[in-house]
Amino acid sequence: MANQTNTTGTVHHLRRMATVWVILSVIGDILFSIFVAPHVPPGRLTETAAKDQTDFNILFEMALPVLFGVWIYLAYALYVWGDKRNKNAAFSGEAARTNMKTQVWWMVITSVTVLFLAGFGTWALVVDHGSGGGQGPNPAFAPAGGLKAETAALLGKATWSPGSTNVLPVQVIGQQWKFTYRYPTFGGFESSQLILPANTTIAFNVTSLDVIHSFWAYELGVKADANPQVNDVAFTTTKNPGSFMVRCSELCGIWHGSMFNSGQVESQTAFENWATTTEAANAANTALLPAFAWTYVPDANGADGGYYPTNDPYSTVETYGSKQPS
Amino acid sequence: MTISDERSSEVTGPVSGHPHETRKLSWTQRPGLLSQNLLTAIVLGVIGYLIGHWFGNYLSSGYDYISNSGQNSIANTLALAFGVVGWLGGIGALNYPFAKLFGVDGLEEESPVDNWTKYFRYSLDHKVVGLQYVVGVLLFMFTGGLLAMAIRTELLNPTTHYFSPDTYIKIVSEHGTIMMMMATSIIVGPLGNYFVPLMIGSRRMAFPRIEALSFWIFTAGYMVIFSALPYGGFPTGWTGYAPLQTQSGPGMVSYLLGFAVIGTGMILAGFNQAVTIINYRAPGMTWSRVPVFVWSILATAALLTLATPVLFAGGLFGLLDKTVQTAFYVNEHGGNAYLWQNLFWFFGHPEVYIMALPGFGIAGELLPVFCRRPLFAYKISSAGMIGVALLSFFVWQHHLFQSGINPDMRPLFMLTTELISIPTGFIYLVGMGTLYRAKIRFELPMLFVLALFFNFLIGGVTGVFLSDVPVNVTVHGGFFVLSHFHYTIMGGLLFAFMAGLYFWLPKMTGRMMNKKIGKVHFWLMFVFFNLTFFPMFIIGLLGQPRRVFTYATNLQGLNDFSSISAYILGFSFLVFFYNLVYSLWLKPEIAPANPWESLGLEWQTATPIPSYNFERIPVIMTEPYRYSEEGAPTYADFGTKDAPDSSTPTKA
Amino acid sequence: MSNSVIQSGTPSQSPEEREYEMRALISSIWTGGRLFIGIYTFMLASLVFSYFYLRSSNSGQLWRPDHVTAPRGFGFAIFGLTLVTGLLAYVGRKRLVKGSFMDFSVAAWFGVGTSLIALVLQIVELSHLSFWPGSSGYASTFIGFSVMNIMSLVISTYWLETTVARGMRIRKELSGENPEFTSHPRARAFRADVAAMSYFLVFLTLAGALLFAMFYLM
Repeated sequence: MANQTNTTGTVHHLRRMATVWVILSVIGDILFSIFVAPHVPPGRLTETAAKDQTDFNILFEMALPVLFGVWIYLAYALYVWGDKRNKNAAFSGEAARTNMKTQVWWMVITSVTVLFLAGFGTWALVVDHGSGGGQGPNPAFAPAGGLKAETAALLGKATWSPGSTNVLPVQVIGQQWKFTYRYPTFGGFESSQLILPANTTIAFNVTSLDVIHSFWAYELGVKADANPQVNDVAFTTTKNPGSFMVRCSELCGIWHGSMFNSGQVESQTAFENWATTTEAANAANTALLPAFAWTYVPDANGADGGYYPTNDPYSTVETYGSKQPS
Repeated sequence: MTISDERSSEVTGPVSGHPHETRKLSWTQRPGLLSQNLLTAIVLGVIGYLIGHWFGNYLSSGYDYISNSGQNSIANTLALAFGVVGWLGGIGALNYPFAKLFGVDGLEEESPVDNWTKYFRYSLDHKVVGLQYVVGVLLFMFTGGLLAMAIRTELLNPTTHYFSPDTYIKIVSEHGTIMMMMATSIIVGPLGNYFVPLMIGSRRMAFPRIEALSFWIFTAGYMVIFSALPYGGFPTGWTGYAPLQTQSGPGMVSYLLGFAVIGTGMILAGFNQAVTIINYRAPGMTWSRVPVFVWSILATAALLTLATPVLFAGGLFGLLDKTVQTAFYVNEHGGNAYLWQNLFWFFGHPEVYIMALPGFGIAGELLPVFCRRPLFAYKISSAGMIGVALLSFFVWQHHLFQSGINPDMRPLFMLTTELISIPTGFIYLVGMGTLYRAKIRFELPMLFVLALFFNFLIGGVTGVFLSDVPVNVTVHGGFFVLSHFHYTIMGGLLFAFMAGLYFWLPKMTGRMMNKKIGKVHFWLMFVFFNLTFFPMFIIGLLGQPRRVFTYATNLQGLNDFSSISAYILGFSFLVFFYNLVYSLWLKPEIAPANPWESLGLEWQTATPIPSYNFERIPVIMTEPYRYSEEGAPTYADFGTKDAPDSSTPTKA
Repeated sequence: MSNSVIQSGTPSQSPEEREYEMRALISSIWTGGRLFIGIYTFMLASLVFSYFYLRSSNSGQLWRPDHVTAPRGFGFAIFGLTLVTGLLAYVGRKRLVKGSFMDFSVAAWFGVGTSLIALVLQIVELSHLSFWPGSSGYASTFIGFSVMNIMSLVISTYWLETTVARGMRIRKELSGENPEFTSHPRARAFRADVAAMSYFLVFLTLAGALLFAMFYLM
């Protein structure tokens, strides 16, 4: 595929292909970025979602020329070198077995592309604090104040009010076949509604009571597996109010398909109203719940709480993750 | 190891004092119904099952938790395991291992029957095993395909259901598991066993008994995994994640044991192929003269032998959890559910390359034939396959990006996963380079190969999306993933299998496949494959998780489009089966000796291929694929004056 | 044998072809033996991985409460016998190479004996455990180890027994020819088989030492 000429010595196949390829790729990428890119899931409801979307679009705009390149090449090759067109030609397939220049260029280009993608992905993962993915009990890419809020939540000292820059911890508990949510900042009440304040960094603490589920808050750009006895932490920063869908994306048994509900991002004051009202209304119920904990181990007496990683329900160890500040 | 002993003694005349010379056939090897064949295998399999069931109940009857639950996994496990042993004993696979205890080298165990019944016996001829595998994988695929039709039927409507959620999840799990097991063997089994010895100029496999055993274990594994349905199915999908695995009923035993059994067959098949390719290449066939299909089988065999033991161990631990109540995957008792995920995917990712590499091999093998020019950058293609095989051991945690383990390792696994696209890209370099200034013949096999390049490109590019952690957050566990791996496995491997069948069936059966029906099959399959699975990328991006029986109502249009395309895709396989029946029995057209004018060794033997493959062991003179090269030496010297004439048709 | 399919219509082989296939056969046994070690390594590695994974995750602090250990007496006995078997296989092969079939067969039959006793002990040990299979992570992996060890012992017993039985049969049937010296194909294949067997048994002994240390000493 180095620039070679055919037997007539005039036609530059690769030059022709490259011309079509450049034109189509540029047009394709422009059309994509104008008409499709702004609508690519998961949307822009949170910082995480927006960055995931950007990431997807960049990948797509790099992938499109690759697809076009191969397709144009295939189409051109099949048209020009098909034996129907060459039936009478003495020419019967080139005998060259390889071309060093082509090999080297191919390797250089694919390697550079791949290394760029890996580097870019890593950068996006780091600056976006794990990109909304579940990072387990010891998040490697936590936002500022994220880990502090986690510890505070466990000790019952987490605070959040409209206008504060505190990270809001929210616990997501999966069980067959529903999600419920606990708000440690508001007395640890449990709700089947997921309401979040706008313009706030949220730390989702995802756990499960039985089998593995996966908490997929679609428009938030958050996905974290809910493992029993594991606190899987995922961060996101909400932007404007809006509603989002929550689905279970890990097969969890018979009713996996119907394990979904929806949630709301509301303004900070509306959220605080809802939270304090619900806290008060549920005070009697909250008293009966197990104490707030990162994981819950069902035993003969119901779901008892335990602290990760020493989640033995019969021990009193109170540490949270080896990398946490105490 | 025994055939050559035997031959050598034939040449030199009877060895003094050799008692086998006059040994009479035992009754098990005589022709007829009572000798060992499929029927005895079925009978002994059933008897083994019953004995195992009784034994399991006897062993475990004293335990309260078993009598209270009404489920006895021990009895189920032993029943199935004894059933497998009975099946293998019935077919005759255990005669030789038993005779070995008495020092026999097993020379007298050759199947004595040379008529059609050999296809229903434990045959040591790699060509018979290859054809047995063809039927086996087609049966497997047909079963899995019917289940796929059921899945698409359920997804026609988000609110009106054709199956209960329970039945649906069983169907999904069974479909996934059956297809994965089938796809592992779909090329290595039929085409690998049949053609590898022919392509390397060998008269035999290194371990013909192990080869035959691998096939009969494969069939046993099929029955074990299918036994899950009468046992009540399993709800875990093909990945079998604990604790759902621990939670679920007796069907899970079939899954775990089925994987262990099939895994054993995979290990044996890969073992035999690897040893054969390393040791039985004809004189002169240096590593740079090995056909690229053989390279792909070698790389696959390396993965089969080294990755599958991990699955075997994982399945064994799961069975121990189910039967003797260990706690490998039970968090509450000191185990860890992540352990299964790690073991499973440590096998599972090499597994997906087990399902990709043979497809690349077939593409590389067929392209030069239909392009009438040498394979472009032959060395790069084998390097690519070895690179893929090596790297595939270091990527498994990309399946666990959202699972909550090792967040600090994610950049590493993102890097290794994306690195694997470099050697995969080599295959495209080779393919596209071979098309360059070729003289392309649009025969049926070539169409399937071209479709592979089209489909696998989409599968591969979407794989890069999946490997990118930020994008993975949205696409993980959804229809996007589902579509991605159907594009690689079905769009890549299955199209390659079809290419291989259309290409080699004339050699295997002596009949040409009908081209007209074949073209209908190809276009239906290609178009409706894409129409079935491409919408699923969008469905996935729009938020539909995998394995659901209901979905958001706004996705019904896309799902229905996909379902209806899937029906036509399913119909295209009926066209294929019709073509088989039509071309083999209804209106057979005798195939020329070398219909594609290939230079490959496998086409230079007589049709039908004699049991010893080659009149003389060929001597390889030069590199493969030297098409269109003026004055190129012939690929091989067959050492016979009466080499098969490539122009006269021969009867099968 | 004389009735086999292979024979019917088999073209006569030239001496070169015969030797070529014979060498392929010998090297197949060599390659197969090494590849089998590879397969087995990956299977045992899964167990080792599980051991350390469960140990480091220590779910519910139930990796190994009170440092429960399987009965050490059994452990030492089983490993000791495995060690002896491995040594016998190694020495037996050395003696065979030196030319003494008698020494090999004595060593191999003893090896079959020690391996069988180890197998029986390994099974009996399961009824003498001080813990339930599901009581801890250690207990679970120990059961997994026992099952794999039973597999290993069955394989080593079988392989030792079949090689030595084969050698004796060759000796009987090729009267006047010794399997340790003759160039008869069956004897050559036999020697390759012995080499692969002794390699595998030495590998099993080494792997057994590691597993023994993990489950009984650590």
